[in-house]
Amino acid sequence: MTDLDLERLGDVWRQRPDPAELEELRRTADAVRRRARWAQVIDVVAAVTVAGVVLLLVLSNPRIDTIIVGAGAVLILLVSQVRQRRVRRIELKSLTGTTEEMLDQSIGRIRTTIRHNRFTLLAMCPGLIIGYLVASAAGRSVGTVVGSLSNAPLFRAAWVGLAVTLVAAAALAFVFRIRRLQRELDRLTAMRGFYRDERESNDP
Amino acid sequence: MCENDAEAIRAKEAATGASASLNGGIPPFERIVADFGPLISRIAMSYEADPALREDLVQQIFLAVWQALPSYRAEASLKTFIARIAQNRAISFLARQVRQPPTAEMPELVESDRPDPEQVAIHTNERRVLLEATRRLPLPQREVIILVLEGFDYAEIGEMLEIAPNALALRLSRAKAALKKMLEGSS
Repeated sequence: MTDLDLERLGDVWRQRPDPAELEELRRTADAVRRRARWAQVIDVVAAVTVAGVVLLLVLSNPRIDTIIVGAGAVLILLVSQVRQRRVRRIELKSLTGTTEEMLDQSIGRIRTTIRHNRFTLLAMCPGLIIGYLVASAAGRSVGTVVGSLSNAPLFRAAWVGLAVTLVAAAALAFVFRIRRLQRELDRLTAMRGFYRDERESNDP
Repeated sequence: MCENDAEAIRAKEAATGASASLNGGIPPFERIVADFGPLISRIAMSYEADPALREDLVQQIFLAVWQALPSYRAEASLKTFIARIAQNRAISFLARQVRQPPTAEMPELVESDRPDPEQVAIHTNERRVLLEATRRLPLPQREVIILVLEGFDYAEIGEMLEIAPNALALRLSRAKAALKKMLEGSS
């Protein structure tokens, strides 16, 4: 057993903070709360605005295709809001549990995100080819200015160049994101390992 | 009631997390910041040495506390609830940092309102050394030591970390030994 006086160290640890430090903390907390409230307000206002615009469009042009598109837009909005709230709730739940639970949940979440990102990255090339074929077919069949332009070699090359550059940039962004997430996953796994070792070393 | 008495009561409430139960609900966020702001700041300090990143971490902890407050059910003290959020947020913050946390840093704030500058310097230096030593502890041990230094009793710590009393005693014993070695090494 060690003779470390934790009670005395606790007094040193908890020594009364400087009033300036307390004031700084209060200001920080105020700013955080204000930003969070604004974010909530902006969320609600954006959702109401989008729903209002969709409703106006549907009312001004009450056709079946407008109604379908409008309903689709509102559905996407609803799904994204529900998903956002669910993610936030899960994250908050993990913060109020034990550290080990939080680490397990974070590891699971990052693994899923990496899987999704890898899938998107892999789907980019076929997506580009399919997009190119669809655009070419549409261009030929339209027979308009766009159709005749798409047959011009220079326009075609520029279009392909732009699309390839954009896809390459997006792919690179995904690669960097996956690498960053992988580093975070490695750190979380190492942290989880510390707790596992600690528990195992307590077993007889 | 004189100001000192009020401060003492407030400190006592903060230490026991009683402010929530006194009001029969969740105290306002301003009160939480006044009561538990220093605890949040100390927990952030014990995980992040870089002052700019620490400021970021403190903001993230405040945000998490603000968002989580409606889910507080008074099953544990408010202090326990906030300490849990602060520790978990600090650990997930560490995982997001690409670089390893630095071990050296600027000295912590020097307290200016103390009557005896020499005593202040000794305390401040001791606190800085203690913080640096705590930061070098492995995470499970660091978590236990921080909670002990924050004044939580062993039953509360066992409940927070969901570990048996024997396991807690063992972990604490290892943490104390490691901390002592580091403190002796730095003196």
